[in-house]
Amino acid sequence: MAPVNLSHRRTHNLLLISKLLSLRDTASPLTLLQDSLEQPATPLIKEYIRRAKLSKVHVTFIAFETLKKPDGVDAFVSTRRKSPAEIVEEVAAVYQPASATGPPRRRLIIIDAINPLLSSRRLDPAFHLPSFLGSFIAPSGPSTGKAEASLVVTYHQDVSALPQQNHYSPTPLSVLTYLATSIITLHSFSHILAQKAARDRSLAAPVFGLEEEQDGVLLGRLDKLAGTGAAEGIVLELEHRRKSGRGVLEWYLLPPSSRYSPQHVKEVVTLLDDNVLYNPPMEPDTNPDEDEPKSTFELGLTDRQRRDREGVVLPYFDAQHGDGPGEGGRILYDMGEEDDFDEEEDEI
Amino acid sequence: MSFRKRNIGLSAGVDRAAVPNASTQPAPPESSPGIRPSPDDGRPTTSTGSPSLDNLLAGHAGLPMGKILLIEENGTTDFAGALLRYYAAEGVVQEQKIHVVGVPEQWGRSLPGLIGTAESLEEKRDKRKDEKMKIAWRYERLGEFGAGVAGSRDAPAPAPAGEKDAIAKPAFCHAFDLTKRLTHPAITNMSFIPLVPSRESPFAAILKQLQTTIGSSPSNTIHRIVIPSLLNPTMYPPNACQPEHVLQFFHSLKAMMSAYTTRVTAMITLPLSLFPRSSGLVRWIELLSDGVIELCPFPHSADAVATSGAATSVEEPPQGMLKTHRLPVLHERGGGSDQNVGQDWAFILSRRRFEIKPFSLPPAEGDTEAQDASATGGMPKKSDLEF
Amino acid sequence: MPSQPPLPPLLTTYLSKQPESSLTLISSILGATSNWLVLRYLYAALGTSSSPNVTIGSDELANGVKRKVVLVSFLRSWEFWRAEAKRLGLDLARLADKQQFAFVDGLSELFNTPSTASGAPTNTGSAVRTTLPLRSQPGTVPGRGPPSTVTAERLGNEGLRQREPGTAKKLHFTGHGVAALDVMEKDIIAEINRQKSSMAEGDEMLLIIDQPDFLLAATGASMGIGATEMAEWVTGLQQHAHATVLTLAADSPLIHNASTSGIQQSSPIETEHAAFAIGMAHRARSVMQLRTLETGAARDVSGVLRISRGGGWTGEAEDNLEERELLYYIQRDGGVRVFGRGES
Repeated sequence: MAPVNLSHRRTHNLLLISKLLSLRDTASPLTLLQDSLEQPATPLIKEYIRRAKLSKVHVTFIAFETLKKPDGVDAFVSTRRKSPAEIVEEVAAVYQPASATGPPRRRLIIIDAINPLLSSRRLDPAFHLPSFLGSFIAPSGPSTGKAEASLVVTYHQDVSALPQQNHYSPTPLSVLTYLATSIITLHSFSHILAQKAARDRSLAAPVFGLEEEQDGVLLGRLDKLAGTGAAEGIVLELEHRRKSGRGVLEWYLLPPSSRYSPQHVKEVVTLLDDNVLYNPPMEPDTNPDEDEPKSTFELGLTDRQRRDREGVVLPYFDAQHGDGPGEGGRILYDMGEEDDFDEEEDEI
Repeated sequence: MSFRKRNIGLSAGVDRAAVPNASTQPAPPESSPGIRPSPDDGRPTTSTGSPSLDNLLAGHAGLPMGKILLIEENGTTDFAGALLRYYAAEGVVQEQKIHVVGVPEQWGRSLPGLIGTAESLEEKRDKRKDEKMKIAWRYERLGEFGAGVAGSRDAPAPAPAGEKDAIAKPAFCHAFDLTKRLTHPAITNMSFIPLVPSRESPFAAILKQLQTTIGSSPSNTIHRIVIPSLLNPTMYPPNACQPEHVLQFFHSLKAMMSAYTTRVTAMITLPLSLFPRSSGLVRWIELLSDGVIELCPFPHSADAVATSGAATSVEEPPQGMLKTHRLPVLHERGGGSDQNVGQDWAFILSRRRFEIKPFSLPPAEGDTEAQDASATGGMPKKSDLEF
Repeated sequence: MPSQPPLPPLLTTYLSKQPESSLTLISSILGATSNWLVLRYLYAALGTSSSPNVTIGSDELANGVKRKVVLVSFLRSWEFWRAEAKRLGLDLARLADKQQFAFVDGLSELFNTPSTASGAPTNTGSAVRTTLPLRSQPGTVPGRGPPSTVTAERLGNEGLRQREPGTAKKLHFTGHGVAALDVMEKDIIAEINRQKSSMAEGDEMLLIIDQPDFLLAATGASMGIGATEMAEWVTGLQQHAHATVLTLAADSPLIHNASTSGIQQSSPIETEHAAFAIGMAHRARSVMQLRTLETGAARDVSGVLRISRGGGWTGEAEDNLEERELLYYIQRDGGVRVFGRGES
């Protein structure tokens, strides 16, 4: 990859992720986080909340599986035993628009896991996922004012979906991925490293956790994987659809939150390709003349030796003449003075 | 089997009170025939009717009371059925109350005939062996050999405690002959619970009947619940294999076991060809059972193995593999520490016994070296026989 | 074999520290059951105060918080837990008397209520209680007289307590769907609140739910209970406890059949179980996974315990949860040895 190209990519894509995570310019009204047990979305959601706090965004947390209100959340909406309509209502109610004078406060709505809703047995068959999600982003009520809302939805990839009642409608996951303006798939950095190491050796990539298909194994993530002690962090695989319709695909690395202070404003996310563990820096290209390995043995050839080597007629040259069976393939060798040839003992 | 007087003057209500009392003390009720304390932890156990299965059960030398043993069988053979018949026959001989679920009364008439106690059979075998070995002087070395190796392995059946008991008390386990039919006065006492087709759970009626009979019986009656070929579609209605029916039945059975900890055992067989172990339903059935044993019969007839060098006229070829997935009590506690765990087992069903022993592959035909090295057969080396 | 300490040293940190509103998931399989680990959680919460040489006062000083436990068990009887805890030196019946422990029985009468329920349970319970010290007199037929009078006394003296510990609250599954779950939830919460009534400020309530996944499996889709409803049920209970420990089965057929799409369609019992188990792992702070050795059984190893951070692990600095994989061995005397691979 040309260095110019990379630096261009770096500038653009880092700006993009920064915009997405900090919810600037409502770059992505609906973000889908696809996580798994191997890399849960919890740290990324914390990062969203942290940035929202910094930029004074109102955070609403819709909890399908979280018990306790996370730090930094303005409104916590428990969904237990509530119908989707009730949830929408409550979410709209918890947000008091700022005074008419100030600009409307932006708002971030987080759904910690959409799976329970999708597989709920009490769900009305007429439940319509797109309009449910849409009602958060563009509330119809007059009281909500003109708040710009961004919705971040987590989907657990490893929780199997129930068979659909309507066999012809698309699955909820396809609906979500189709609707989402950004899709972030989360990976564990240590797993990415292990898989890359295997790929570099042309080995089958290792699998972790549920994919091991082992009796009694739910999680495989052991952060102390051999040789990757420092490999903390989350790999984000971002697929973003620009307003222009163009797509962007990039891999990022989010370092663990212990590495920076909560008030840290500068961008902490880096490109995965810029990581030294993932992409070890090449040894700088040295003088081509010195590309021979150094050794105490002289492995090179002098000019004369090289000439001599070229002069040797290899057996198969002769064999190609096909002088009949048994002929050809002889080693033609002219005895030199340095050969210690004994007529009686040696034979050619 | 002495006839015991049955708690005269005790009403049913007090009997119920007596149950948990008995469960708190490991010693079995004195008056129960066929019950003995486990050599492992003293809890009451009863025999499955086949000594080598008793020995497999994690050091308890019998099936602990209040436990469910699930026998699964692959293929269309009915080795599990034989085990079940031994279990039922043993119960009849011990004058325990047998409840058979889902099969007609003919099943009860096919129980194997009694030919003595398990110990007597062992003795007979050993004696016969000794006689045979005295035929010629050159076999004398062989006799020692047999006593040392084969003898020590073949006769571990009665655990030490059992041997002692055998003298003073009535036998714990009996020997049966599959070709004979059991004739015992208590055989008429077996109860057969038919499957009644119903829109609700087909097991509801069974449970109810079990509960009433066990609940209303005197507190020293021991019960055995025998369920042959569970969920077999020729006997059970199609809705029986709905999880809400079969799993609730197992759960209620387990509840019954814990309510009458010292009085009930159950043995259930399940055809794996219809309900494979890889399915979630069967796994739940297994999780609800206290012991899970899988029989994998060898697909072909035993003839092929018999002609190979390994088997001899003395040693019968194994008819299949036996796997222990879970053992009563042991696995409930966490599992693992039993000496039998992790062994490969083979089983041999002969006329008179269901024998389980360590499995090892027979040496290849004509491979005399391997034959010499193999200790499996417990056979004398060829060189011992030749001059 | 040397006797082992009730709490394996390598596990002490995992067993004793349960942050607020955290969920700990214990997964087991057919050949590696979780009961021993649940007992260790019980011991970690209740152990010190029940040992006779430590007075309760000094214990409170030493530890600051007093812990109470409510154990809900769907697959194992009170008798089992009592006997096994006794082997650890934990007298659950006495702790229940002292209102530190409560057992909720999800086995005995979950699906069938005995027709003669009236009055019988109290009688049974009193027999358990009063004959406990009488172990040395086997064969005594418990008469009608003494136990019932004792019961009467007890009931008279202690108006607060309605039940004997031996006959803990029995759960019943009656009705259909979520309503049936609600009834059970109410029963369990009532039990929790009964314990809480004697709780001081700062005391912690540990809720242990043993195999609620059975409920999901045995009620089936036809009863309108799915993974989501079960998970909500657990959430409802979690809200009333300081911390929750949950056990469930993670056998391959129950977890992996659901994800292998194609060849054979997975049955609802498999799909729902997988969704419930994995969903719970997403909520859990830590997941203790028990399994047998891949290399086959060994004489000195009962199984493998893998401790992982679940999806609910906050990742905060103070919540230090080290992930590791350990071997364990259950001795015949019930003691447990936990050690790393390669150690013995």
